[in-house]
Amino acid sequence: MIEVCELTKRYGAHRAVDGLSFEVKPGYVAGFLGPNGAGKSTTMRTILGLDRPTSGEALVDGKRYADTPKPLHHVGALLDANAVHGGRSVYNHLRVLARSNGIGVRRVVATLEQVGLTGVAGRRVGTLSLGMKQRLGVAAALLGDPAVLLFDEPVNGLDPEGIRWIRHLMRGLAAEGRTVLVSSHLMSEMALTADRVVVIGRGRLILEASMQELAERFQRDVLVRTGHPDELAAVVERLGATVRREDGALLVHGLSAHDIGEAAAHQRIPVHELTPRSASLEDAYLELTDDSVEYRTVTR
Amino acid sequence: MTDVLASEFLKLRTVRSTFYLLLALVLALAAGILVAYLMTADYDRQPPEVQVNFGAADPGMVVLPFGQFVLGALGAFAVTTEYGTGMIRTALTSVPRRWSLLLAKTAVVAGVSAVVGGVATLLGFLSGEWVTGDRPKPISAYESFAEALPTLLANTASLTMMGLFGLGLGFLLRSTAGVLVTLCGLLFVLPGITLLLPAPWNDRLYSVMPPVLAPQLAGELPGAPLGQWAAGLAMLAYLAVALGGGAAVLLRRDA
Repeated sequence: MIEVCELTKRYGAHRAVDGLSFEVKPGYVAGFLGPNGAGKSTTMRTILGLDRPTSGEALVDGKRYADTPKPLHHVGALLDANAVHGGRSVYNHLRVLARSNGIGVRRVVATLEQVGLTGVAGRRVGTLSLGMKQRLGVAAALLGDPAVLLFDEPVNGLDPEGIRWIRHLMRGLAAEGRTVLVSSHLMSEMALTADRVVVIGRGRLILEASMQELAERFQRDVLVRTGHPDELAAVVERLGATVRREDGALLVHGLSAHDIGEAAAHQRIPVHELTPRSASLEDAYLELTDDSVEYRTVTR
Repeated sequence: MTDVLASEFLKLRTVRSTFYLLLALVLALAAGILVAYLMTADYDRQPPEVQVNFGAADPGMVVLPFGQFVLGALGAFAVTTEYGTGMIRTALTSVPRRWSLLLAKTAVVAGVSAVVGGVATLLGFLSGEWVTGDRPKPISAYESFAEALPTLLANTASLTMMGLFGLGLGFLLRSTAGVLVTLCGLLFVLPGITLLLPAPWNDRLYSVMPPVLAPQLAGELPGAPLGQWAAGLAMLAYLAVALGGGAAVLLRRDA
């Protein structure tokens, strides 16, 4: 369980995180979304005690991370796959981290196996591709078999097979009852992985919702085809909906497909098609974060 | 705490820079032996009245300044390579209690510097005795091991201090280049400049330069501005400034 309470982090005059509160509970993959510069990485660094909050706090299982003696047994994190000493071998890199938390060599070997790096165990970390470094970072996060996992943009640099692997891994970890927080700036990636999303922009919370709620909230309208469009339009307009016409179909805004179907049946108007149309998640995300994009390209 | 200590020791043993630095120290010792050998060969060709004015053929004269720089770099690398690569964030994620990390690194660097410094100093002495054989002073630096002991201990202390000083500077500056420039300045540049100052400031400042502390600590220089105690305290003052400043930065600033 991760709790972020009224967290604020200022760098000089710039508020990277601004009064942010949310929680992540065990058992599902929580997507942490926001445009570049929204404060995702700062929030994650603060949760891990690397950055000190200006005010507010972030707790993992009710405790401050910095107070945990052997944290790898509770929390695993992959923040930046490149944040490793390139001169050490893959095996020694993990051994150094494991040793600091009293984790044995056998577990290091098993974790290497789990992420598929056994074949390059003797290679120096600096010679690995970004995708392999991501796997090494995942291995480091999994070393202590932790109940809480944080991943910052874990699919960066992975090939399609690797992306599918990490999606599967995160869903599996959540299904085992672990708390999983994954940041991304790509909604399309989260749509395939996350069960819930926390969307932030300019350091503030924009939305915390399940994927389903997000889809419902951004339902645009219902497309209705019928042999009697004028009659049906009159019926739904009486119920408060607005109607547009397109290619002989009605686009009804303000009523659910369920209510339209009921009303039509009540008036004995045959309906040939009844389709709720939602904005794509990507559109929904862009709409949500539109006001909070920090770095924007100028479009004409 | 023992886990963190073991991990830090493992870190030092699993990067190549550590071994390159030790190799550099071995080469310095070899160079020192060569210099001592050439001096001794020259000594043997001279008439007695010239021989009495010879300096001591002591490889330690080469090993000490070079060792101070090498161990300062070794201590610094234990930190600055982690800041340079970002590894510090991974390290602080596995050991979030920053005091623990600081203490473990301090203990490991102190231990390694003391052992390496002690061995290098002793080897310098033994090889010097071997080169000069049964020749008398002044070409032989010491009459006996007992006579050499204060100097050997002071040199070891000075080498250990430089390892820790480099570590402290590493925490303070977070940059390999920054530490190396500072070390070069303090070890090789500033001492020469202090001698250009008007008296009595030239002697006063020169006497607290890191390279001059070891002989004063050993009591080798009669009439030196600093007594043995004062020299020891000056060494501790260097440590307090570097490690204290480094600790303050580590504990207070974001990683």
